[in-house]
Order: sequence, then structure tokens, then C-alpha cells
Amino acid sequence: MHVRTGGFPVLIMAVACLPAGTGPGQTLSTRHRNAAMPEIPSKDDTHTTFRYPLRWRIMDALNGGLDRFWPARMSPYTGWALIMPALLLVGVLVLGLFEMADNSLHTLDRATFRLSEAYTLENYQTVMESATYGRVITRSVFAAGLTVFFTLLLALPYAYIMVRTTSSAVRKALLVTLFLPFFIGQVVRAYGLLIILGTTGVANNALGLVGIEPMRLLFNFPAVVFGLVQYMLPFAVLMLAPALTAIPRETETAASSLGANWVQGFRHVVLPMAKPGLIGAGLVVGTLALTDFAMPAMLGGGSQDFIANAIYDQFFRTADQGLGAALALLLVVLGSVIVGIVISIFGAGTLGMGNRK
Amino acid sequence: MTARSQRILFWALVWFSVLILSVPTIIVVGASFTNANMISFPPEGFTLKWYEKIALARDLRQAFIRSLIVSTVCLVVSVPVGTLAGLALSRFKLRFVNAIQIYLLLPFTVPLIGSGIGMMLIFGEWRILGSLWPVGVALAVINLPFIIWSVSSSASALDGDLELAASSCGAGRFETFWFVTLPGVMPGVITGGLLMFVLAMSEFLVSLLLTDARTVTLPVQIYNNIRSIITPDLAAVSSVFVVIALLAVWVLDRLVGLEIFLKSK
Repeated sequence: MHVRTGGFPVLIMAVACLPAGTGPGQTLSTRHRNAAMPEIPSKDDTHTTFRYPLRWRIMDALNGGLDRFWPARMSPYTGWALIMPALLLVGVLVLGLFEMADNSLHTLDRATFRLSEAYTLENYQTVMESATYGRVITRSVFAAGLTVFFTLLLALPYAYIMVRTTSSAVRKALLVTLFLPFFIGQVVRAYGLLIILGTTGVANNALGLVGIEPMRLLFNFPAVVFGLVQYMLPFAVLMLAPALTAIPRETETAASSLGANWVQGFRHVVLPMAKPGLIGAGLVVGTLALTDFAMPAMLGGGSQDFIANAIYDQFFRTADQGLGAALALLLVVLGSVIVGIVISIFGAGTLGMGNRK
Repeated sequence: MTARSQRILFWALVWFSVLILSVPTIIVVGASFTNANMISFPPEGFTLKWYEKIALARDLRQAFIRSLIVSTVCLVVSVPVGTLAGLALSRFKLRFVNAIQIYLLLPFTVPLIGSGIGMMLIFGEWRILGSLWPVGVALAVINLPFIIWSVSSSASALDGDLELAASSCGAGRFETFWFVTLPGVMPGVITGGLLMFVLAMSEFLVSLLLTDARTVTLPVQIYNNIRSIITPDLAAVSSVFVVIALLAVWVLDRLVGLEIFLKSK
């Protein structure tokens, strides 16, 4: 513990008033030059006319205010006070989830188009029994699975080359290629894909060059999966790269010096060691793909709805809030279970928050 | 050292990834300069008329201004909140710290459609739906883990003895915070703030749920326009996002270096 002195000004005045060899005025002016403070009159009665610079006064006031509203004896709770705003801000989200849960327990009264008063589980029953939602959910899960597979297939070599390359320019170029789409946002990226895959788009023009008839590349299931893979690739690479960095290069050298070819080395050395990263990246990509809205909406053209699109339609087209809320809550639970698995495997530090030294 | 077949296979896959990641961006930017009235690639001729058109288009300009307002609100809310939380997580011993971390990660673990719908309902309950600032607050909520992560990793790199030294030299608690702790974590704060601003600028789904015809932000406006017709002026708007993203990547690289994301813990 340190002794509080009441801030710089008091400390400096104390020094200035010390009965040292020099006169008080001289000591003060030396001080003030060091501290680059405004000019002080060098009269003999300096320490009575000396005016605190504004900055000192502000600092003293702030310190005083802090002492008043948050005295030192409260210091065991300082951490809590600092984290409280964040807890409250995320609280908005939690309240929203409760509101959603509450909504999901009321059915839509078709007469008034408001949610009825009575609590019921009917909405959940509707979701469970509906063949449409069954199809939507199956499609989302299937697409998420495919997305995970293709994304990891592309992300693994990408991360591997990026980590292992000896050229820092190559590494930088690969990193920029990853980060740019991340910041551009999903709508603009989907728009780019729309242009490419359109009937008169680049892809069809390229196919035309090798003599293939123009075909419909958009508004079908593969287009959505392609869009999702493109969207998820940066996330997957950025989750895999640290895992690959942690694998010493020597392990591969050792494997090859013992006679393993690169396929064997990769299969028996790199893959097992990268497994936590692969699982983590796979689960994150899977959840994001499963709950995506923009790609199915834009590249699927309304025929390839995912769960998120069905939820949106319930709120904004059919205006059945209760049913939409029930669907959304099911999706939240599904997503949380998947992420719960990630956290139980890797710990909450996975995303690197507050890792103490 | 690496086998030739491995090099060929891996580089082929990497080139494929690079292509699918960057070609859409390049095409969008290229298409914004086309002279034709329909999107075509390679662009026919060269013109800046689409940029002129979007600069004059009232709806797009207003949507852009609204996006800036929303991102600023998000920044103003998230930077103090995230900085304090990041400091609390890395420099203070908190009880139940695991539970707190899981709670603060909720914005990432709850699917965006869930968060968006939930906040839409609660904002509707509070009768603030339809104004612009709640959108900024909502975006601050859903991206909060980014800035907490960025500040706390910066704070754990800061030597705690510096703060003790400041206090033993007579600095009060506020002065210690203002002159020692805050400058120490400033790289994390700036990085986090940058992430929050740019991600709020390009965020789509939550904005779609929380805005109406009077408050649409730019990504939502693009989405609405795409649904009707694809014209080169949209490519010009999209190029604005590409420029913003380029700037963001450049600043991020200067500030912390992109290579930091490759480090293993």
C-alpha cells in the first residue's frame, strides 16, 4: 500500500517550503521550469501568491471527487464497479431474450392480431409438428455441415501456408486478403457474389470461353453454401492459425526424417496437434452458418430459407410474434449448446478475454 | 524441404481461397466504373458518373449519414464501457470471473438473429424503436466482446508496477489512472474502437431488424436496393465500404500489426 499525499501540487508545495539552502522562490522556479508550468512571480512571498495551474486544480478536484464518491476503503469493489457498465449493457441483450421467451409462450390471437394473454406451449408444438420448419431446419443443418467441411478444407492449407511461410511479404498479403472481406461486411460481399454468379456474370462468361452454355448459378442451394464458405473462411483461418503456430516445425522434420512422406506426416503429426483448433473453428463456423440470414436471403433468392429467414418472416410477413419468438429461442438454445461445447472443451479463455499474465 | 506435391496442392487451395475472397471485391470496385447501365465485367469504358449519382442521391446520402451516426453512438457507448471492463478483467481479482466471462461472451454465443429479435422486442417495449441511437447501442452490445478482448490483452501486457510507482510518487488514484494506466492500454482502446466503428458501419442483420423506412442505415439500404434491381450505382456505394475496410486494415496493421493474430497463446 502506498501513502496518499494528496496529489502533485501539495507534494510540490511541500518541497518548495522545505528549509533548504536556497530561498523558496528559487526552488519554486526550478521546479516550475522542470514541470513546464506557467510563470510564477519571484517575489519573496511566493508561496502565498502562488496560483495552482488549472490542470493541477482539475486533477485535485477529480481526485477529491473520487475520494468522496469512491473512498479507498471501497477498493475491494473497484473491479466490480469497473465491470458493472458492461454487465448492464449486455443486460439489454439478456432482457431481450427474456422478452422473447415471454413472447414465445403466447399464441397469436387471429381476431385482434395481438398475442393472447394465456400462457401456452402451443407455439413450440407448432414448430415441432410443422413439416415446413422441419425442412427449413434440416436444410440449415445440412448447409452448416457442408460449410464446415469446405471451409476447413480451404482454411487448413491457408493457415498452414500463412504460418509456415518464410516470406513476411507473403504472410502479410495473405493476412490482408483475410481481413479486408471481414471489414467489408456481408451485404457487400454477397453483392459481389451476385455479380459474379449472375447469368451474364463473370463465372458464366468464363464458362462460355471453354464452351459451356450459360447456366443458373444463383438462387440455389450450392450458391448459398458457396456464399457461406466465402463468408466463414476468414473466421476459420484466424481460429486455426494460432493452433498451427503452436506446432513446432521440428515435429514435421522429425516425422519426415523417420521416413514419413508428407501425407503421413500431415495426417499423423499436424492434424492431431491441430485438432483443438480444428474443432473450435468447425463449431464456430457451424454455428455462424446455421444461424445466418444474409446469404440464404440474397443468394438463395427466397427459395433457400434458413431458420433465421423463417424467424424474420414470422415477425415481418406473417406478423406471428409468438411463433417467431419460439423459433428464435430454439435457435438460441441450439447455438448456446454448441458454444457451450466449445467452452467446455477449451475454457472461456478461448476468445482470449482477460487472460491474466 | 516440403515435398513438391504438398506445395502444389496447398498452394492451389490457397490460390483458390485468395480468389474467392478477393475477386468479389475487385469486381464490385471494377463494376462501379462501368459506362454501361447494367453491371458488366470487364467494365465497358471508364466513368465516374455512378459516384456522382450516389453523391446526389438523397436516400443513399442520408443512409450513409445515419450509418455514421449509428457507428459514432456505438463507439461512444462501447469504448468507455469496454475499456473499464477490459481493465477490470485483466487487472482486478474478481470473484466468479469465469461466470462473468461467459456472461460477457453472450453477444457472441447468442446467434445474431436471436439478439436482434430480442432487442427489437425490448426496445419496442421501451418505446424507443424507430429512433437511431438504440441501433448504435444494440451494435455496441453485440460487438462488445471485441473491445473487451482488445483492451484486456493490452492491459495484461502493461506492468502493474508502473501504477504502484506512480502512486508512490504521489499521484492520486485518478491521476494514476489518467496518466499511467490509460496511456498504457491506449493501443488496445484504439484497436477496439476501430473494430467497433468499422463493424458497426458494415453490420447488417441487427440493423435490418431495428430500423424502419425512416431510419435505414447504408448496409440495409444496399440490401433493399439489391432486391429490386442491380445497377452500377450500388457498386459505387459498395466501393465506399471497400475503401473504409482498406483504411481499417491499414490502421490496424500500423497499430498492432496483423501478425498478432497468428500468435499462439
